[in-house]
Amino acid sequence: MDRRTVLKGITAAGTLAATGKLAAPAVAQGAKVLKFVPQANLANFDPIWGTQYVVRNASQLVWDTLYGMDSGLQAKRQMVESEEVSADGLTWTFKLRDGLKFHDGEKVLAKDVVASIGRWEVRDAMGQMLKAIQKELVAVDDRTFKWVLSKPYPKILLALGKVGTPCCFIMPERIAKTDPFKQIEEYVGSGPMKFVRADWKPGALAAFEKFKDYVPRNEPSNWWSGGKAVSFDRIEWVIMPDPATASAALQNGEIDWWEAPLTDLVPVLKRNRNIKVDIADPLGNIGSFRLNHMHPPFNNIKARQAVQAALSQEDYMRAVVGSDDKLWKPIPSFFTPGTPLYTEAGGEPLKGKRDYELAKKLLQEAGYSGQPVTCVVAQDQAPLKAMGEITADLLKKIGMTVDFVATDWGTVGQRRASKNLPGQGGWGMFHTWHAGSDCASPVGYIALRASGEKAWFGWPDNAEIEKDIAAWYDAKSIDEEKAIVGRINKASMEHVTYIPTGFYYGYQAWRTSLDGVGNGPLPWFWGPKKA
Amino acid sequence: MLGYIVRRVLATIPVMAIVALFVFSLLYIAPGDPAVVIAGDQASLEDIERIRKGLGLDRPFLVRFAEWSLHVVRGDLGKSMFTGLPVTELIGQRIEPTLSLMVVTLILAVVVAVPMGVVAAWRAGSWLDRGFMAFAVAGFSVPVFVVGYLLAYVFALELDWLPVQGYTPLSRGLWPWLENLILPSIALGFVYIALIARITRATMLEVLSQDYIRTARAKGLGERAILFLHALKNAAVPIVTVIGIGVALLIGGAVVTESVFAIPGLGRLTIDAIVRRDYPVIQGIVLMFSFVYVLVNLMVDLIYTALDPRIRY
Repeated sequence: MDRRTVLKGITAAGTLAATGKLAAPAVAQGAKVLKFVPQANLANFDPIWGTQYVVRNASQLVWDTLYGMDSGLQAKRQMVESEEVSADGLTWTFKLRDGLKFHDGEKVLAKDVVASIGRWEVRDAMGQMLKAIQKELVAVDDRTFKWVLSKPYPKILLALGKVGTPCCFIMPERIAKTDPFKQIEEYVGSGPMKFVRADWKPGALAAFEKFKDYVPRNEPSNWWSGGKAVSFDRIEWVIMPDPATASAALQNGEIDWWEAPLTDLVPVLKRNRNIKVDIADPLGNIGSFRLNHMHPPFNNIKARQAVQAALSQEDYMRAVVGSDDKLWKPIPSFFTPGTPLYTEAGGEPLKGKRDYELAKKLLQEAGYSGQPVTCVVAQDQAPLKAMGEITADLLKKIGMTVDFVATDWGTVGQRRASKNLPGQGGWGMFHTWHAGSDCASPVGYIALRASGEKAWFGWPDNAEIEKDIAAWYDAKSIDEEKAIVGRINKASMEHVTYIPTGFYYGYQAWRTSLDGVGNGPLPWFWGPKKA
Repeated sequence: MLGYIVRRVLATIPVMAIVALFVFSLLYIAPGDPAVVIAGDQASLEDIERIRKGLGLDRPFLVRFAEWSLHVVRGDLGKSMFTGLPVTELIGQRIEPTLSLMVVTLILAVVVAVPMGVVAAWRAGSWLDRGFMAFAVAGFSVPVFVVGYLLAYVFALELDWLPVQGYTPLSRGLWPWLENLILPSIALGFVYIALIARITRATMLEVLSQDYIRTARAKGLGERAILFLHALKNAAVPIVTVIGIGVALLIGGAVVTESVFAIPGLGRLTIDAIVRRDYPVIQGIVLMFSFVYVLVNLMVDLIYTALDPRIRY
């Protein structure tokens, strides 16, 4: 028996004597509880309104999806029992599995699905594409819905099963009718866990309880597909903003699983025989040097190419992940290594020895005359802070003047939306990163778009890239997709849409008393069980 | 006395109005946009603009301030932009941990610091005095989070006497509640103990040099009676003042302590709200803390009357 237990026993006896009753337990005796520390605060719980990854990760427990992605990045049936598509590719008919129920006891009906898709497609890029070609989306009967399009959309199942946010979560019709730009106020789904609203303390704790009427598919689970049988009665998401505290709590057994330990703390965790550490997401992340194509100096392609010629992905990645070589790799590509569409076509500018002299020459040709490059760098995001410091040094080495704006992510978010000149509240460059799951294909890869004023922050403008992205959505075979992605990669490298600063992984850590922790773009709660 | 209390309570109204205007204006001009944070990294400019409109952030400053002020007067602090929950509910969820932390820290600090200061003054110039004052200097110098990390490492990780983090409500038992508060209270109380000990020592030294103390000694009174019945009572007014001012220190320190020990209190709620630009929550918490601080000052003034019968309002 350890010291804490003895101390507790003595005081409990005293308390019992003093109060005449035992303290009421918060959770039923014998209940299996998993304590998980997520990557970020779960500040809201509407996966359509708030598209942060942490919201999606929690939402997968409460809301089910029509399709789910497996480890081969294929969309597999989840709530859907079967689907049919007409010969012309214009009419899709989906049938739901029998026995699906919401947490309030009501059956999941096709009309709920229709409303949920309607809400999702307003906010999602692929959803918007579908909405633009949608002629009809109706419930045919309680378990069947029909989707009629004006032109074929081969990626429809991918749209419904992708992990990129916002995902097409299915809600009761009354909730799904909420304006997509306003938050839902009820959290009823048909997923394996129910959200315990009464225990929710945003920023501190979110709790989920097992939904006894959930019927998992009769298949082994594989990422977001297959049978989602959760072995825990209760899952608690314990928000811990301080990584040192989370590390200590994991070592002390006060939590079971930590989604994203700080790289600096991983050696301490690895030395603890009660803790396992492994790569969290095999799809990793791609760092980004995002340039402003709208204003000088980076409105000139030669200035962009100058930075590209001098940029060393090794420098950036070592700053982000440290000396662990297993955690990063250089990528002369915009796409995720190890995925079917990965290509290095046109990646020569990021390969080989870095060339500062070429960079200086390109800057001269661009007519660069010393105007400051406003680097807006978030100091409260460790990878971005690290990348920002490398960038300041890099730009100075090639002869650029740096205006380093050290701020927080909230301000970066606001400032990067400004189309003003850098000296008037605008910006020259900022850093971010993209989840590898979002870069495995052009699906939802908004950072790759080059539609000028309508593009993502930075506003790159290249008709050729846009044409190829549109063509990819219409591609009918994997070979066709690969060829198109090769062209997109080459054109994006030449145009310097943005500069990938490297590919890196993050770790996850868990107690050895927890078996079955897998990896993936999200933490999966239907594999782990307590030993 | 009652009239004085009523006048002081009424005087909080203009104070609160000024605080409300100040915090609202500060947030209005501060950089950052909650709509951007809500919309997420993948959102388009149009999405962000629609969210901003949905939150009413596109309306003029005076319209927003007037609307918010009218709600506040009715006791409605608005809803969080992120969670959609009423600010009063969010504060209600978090108030017990912060209050518990502050009360335990206050009791610990007073119980440790006052005797420390009294003994230091009584034995002024001795090694005991120097030792206590060196401790006080350390208390001012070492940041709260460093103390917190050290305590967690030694007493939680290495000795396994206490938990690293978390908070257990008092309704679940006295020891579970106290168990989670011991280390955070010591960490937070460190600087508070230092402050109170030094003030206590300084005021006690002044009082101990007074004629009536010499008279008390000449009359044959014991040292304990002199120190605690006569000297401390006369030195109490400045000490109580510092304790009252120190409540502000506690509020600020609670923010760091709650983060280090993962206590789900108002301090963390404040930080989260600031990082996200959750304006209604920030405004509500600042108003609430201002009100609490005004009340604390009133209580301190009332305690003076108990300590010194010459003070009457």
